[in-house]
Amino acid sequence: MTEMSQPEENTLGVIVGRRRSHGGVPAASTAAHAMRQASTAGASLGTGYLGIGAGVIAGVQALFGIGLFVWNVGAYPSLAPIVVSWFIYIASLIGVGVTLATRGERMSGLLFGAFLVAQACVVALDFVAIWPLHNVGQFATASVSVGFGLLVAVTLRRASEMLIATGLLGAAFVAAILLTTPLTSETLPSQFGILALAVLPPAFGVYVVQRFRRVVQLELDRVLVQSTISAPRFAVGMLASEELARLDLAAEDLLDSVATGKTKLPLSPKIASTAASLATELRLHLIEGRRETWLYHAITESEQLGKGVTLSDPGSLAGLLDPHQRDGLLAAVWLLVSAKGKVPSTAQLTLGPIKSSVEDASAHTVTVPIVITTTGVPRNRVDPTTWNAIGKAGRFIDSTQNSSLRVEIECVVANPANQ
Amino acid sequence: MASVEPIAKERDRLLHRSARVVGLGSTIVALLSFSVPGVLPLASYLATLPLFLVMAFALYRMGIGRSLLWVILGLASGLAILVVAQIPNGHSETTALADAMVPLAGAALGAFAMVLASTVPRLLVLVVGAAIAVTLVQFASPHPEELSRQAVSVAVGWALAGILGYWLGASVPRAARKIFSIGRAHRAERQASETEAQRRQGARLLHDTVLATLTLLAHSGFGVTASALQQQAGDDARLLRQLRLGASPVPQSSGSYNLEQTEESILGTTLESVKQRFGRMGLEVSWHGTGQVLLPSDVLDAFLLALAECLENVRRHAGVTDAHVTITDDETTVRAMVTDAGVGFDLKDIDEARLGFKDSVVGRLQEVGGNARLFSSPGSGTTVVLEVPK
Repeated sequence: MTEMSQPEENTLGVIVGRRRSHGGVPAASTAAHAMRQASTAGASLGTGYLGIGAGVIAGVQALFGIGLFVWNVGAYPSLAPIVVSWFIYIASLIGVGVTLATRGERMSGLLFGAFLVAQACVVALDFVAIWPLHNVGQFATASVSVGFGLLVAVTLRRASEMLIATGLLGAAFVAAILLTTPLTSETLPSQFGILALAVLPPAFGVYVVQRFRRVVQLELDRVLVQSTISAPRFAVGMLASEELARLDLAAEDLLDSVATGKTKLPLSPKIASTAASLATELRLHLIEGRRETWLYHAITESEQLGKGVTLSDPGSLAGLLDPHQRDGLLAAVWLLVSAKGKVPSTAQLTLGPIKSSVEDASAHTVTVPIVITTTGVPRNRVDPTTWNAIGKAGRFIDSTQNSSLRVEIECVVANPANQ
Repeated sequence: MASVEPIAKERDRLLHRSARVVGLGSTIVALLSFSVPGVLPLASYLATLPLFLVMAFALYRMGIGRSLLWVILGLASGLAILVVAQIPNGHSETTALADAMVPLAGAALGAFAMVLASTVPRLLVLVVGAAIAVTLVQFASPHPEELSRQAVSVAVGWALAGILGYWLGASVPRAARKIFSIGRAHRAERQASETEAQRRQGARLLHDTVLATLTLLAHSGFGVTASALQQQAGDDARLLRQLRLGASPVPQSSGSYNLEQTEESILGTTLESVKQRFGRMGLEVSWHGTGQVLLPSDVLDAFLLALAECLENVRRHAGVTDAHVTITDDETTVRAMVTDAGVGFDLKDIDEARLGFKDSVVGRLQEVGGNARLFSSPGSGTTVVLEVPK
């Protein structure tokens, strides 16, 4: 039992070890798996189709490039290098396409390396072919297509690798232009054009894929957090739940190793202190009242909400909201803090205290007042759908406080005393 | 928070932002090409500069909103540059001007195609814009009557940008559908983890003994023989394993070492877990009376097991969905009365052994010095009184 380790984190807010599950979901869950898929380089969540699109663009551009080559075919002193160059280019595209289709959407370092070597050959052969023509801008064909060819790897390899490859391609073009082409006002524009055409597509591709991933991650975060709206009034939450299971398992391992004699008695100070911290954490997890409302879990589990939302709900009133109202409130808060502005938007939610009047004592419903104060959310920048969302939660009055939005919602919920 | 609306907005924002970056990047290249001395007469060059500014601004604004207005303004100013650039010359002898126009007409203006490859009106704008751009570049070539390389390049630029926009737009809902199904799985997972956490938290007796053993281990088992501690650790590990595998084990004893005197548990919190367990199986248990009774853990075990057995009998045989448990205590005794308004039975007709009553209830209580009594008659429910000494 020498490998008996300290708990890496506890859900009381203290991270002991370095492991922190992504986006506030348990590390072993489907959601965490999806999160990892969406955020790692070469991630496949939704980018597979995008990769096919990159292939289509590279294909269309290759057809155009071949057309240009045929157009200029009379100008080449020797056709062999350019024909071989095109052949290698098409073969490498088809090869990558077939590999991805059969081996799955992954590009190993080996495959990427081989692809880059093939592209280097394409560029070299094309330059050899057009060298005697002394105008790279006008005659480069296959070498320009390489920039588009790199796009097929854009969803599968790291952005830095893509940018390095693009930089090398750009450097090759600059070198070839300087060495072969006399720079006059007549030739210069087409040299700029050809350089941009070679370098910009993969750079834009990297940008687009990064943004796409960001959209996917935000959406994933939103959808995962939405699962809290169907939670019971009080819940342990996924992190605490996973933690309790982990503590139980750690205790089981420790006790088992003591029972089987694997760990000798009396215990070494290190294992004894592990037992003590296990007992402490387990005890804290078993105390009643460690349950929180869905809203608390939504905010702590979400990357997006966790950054900018603070909650003050001493009476745990959020739990009283029905799923429809929860949905509205969550959407509203989400939209408020994701509004893009110069300063990061924050929202402070205050729930309660319950308004009660004398004649309402036995009423079927009670009113939970919710106040949302924000910073960095000017009223005119609020997304129109936010108002619909707030309206789902209840009747509301909006005002401006410190040039940022303030909303007071009167949320009518079933009287808990009648349940 | 319907799943369609926000993702459509995200998709449009992605398209507009991407088009902005592509457009602005290409505009810089276009401006560089135009700035090569000799490509344009100075007057024409200076005339194009404000138009470049307008176009860059339109591209910038396009990245913020979803309005078609900025797209059209950007297209108009870009096409105006193409016109202004060839006004004085009329006819050029070299391809320099046409070459310089390609980054602007094919890429910077083509970028607008990214946000136009969706609805019919937008497609219309795309086709018209592309046609004008190609025509203007064609006019700038030395031989306007022959299709020029530059004009074809511009057309291809628009086509590629259109494909990119269409494909990117189609990728987002596809990803959203996948995400939606992940969200569904996550919801089920959350419910399962909640139930699991409650089950674990409900296993209070088990955790009481585990905590006691861990505390002993933390003090290196001081004052307890190694074999007793090993025995206890083995029992607890076995129970934890059962818990992990889905059962709700209750420890039969807390071991033979001197925990009994010190380890007392409050009845109320443990009763709550029994209530929850039966609640999940469809029997609503109502508690009455005191919950603040401290019992030695072996007595508590027996008391709870007997109580659970009685409730199990109610659940199986009484034909009702609720039962009442009243807890009372005096100086010497804790008493629980389990009543239900179910079918009841004639005590003479039913062998007590058949209900497991003698072994599981009476036997257990007698071991700790307690007792149990059963009252019932057909049609008027059943009452069991359990007593244990304090």
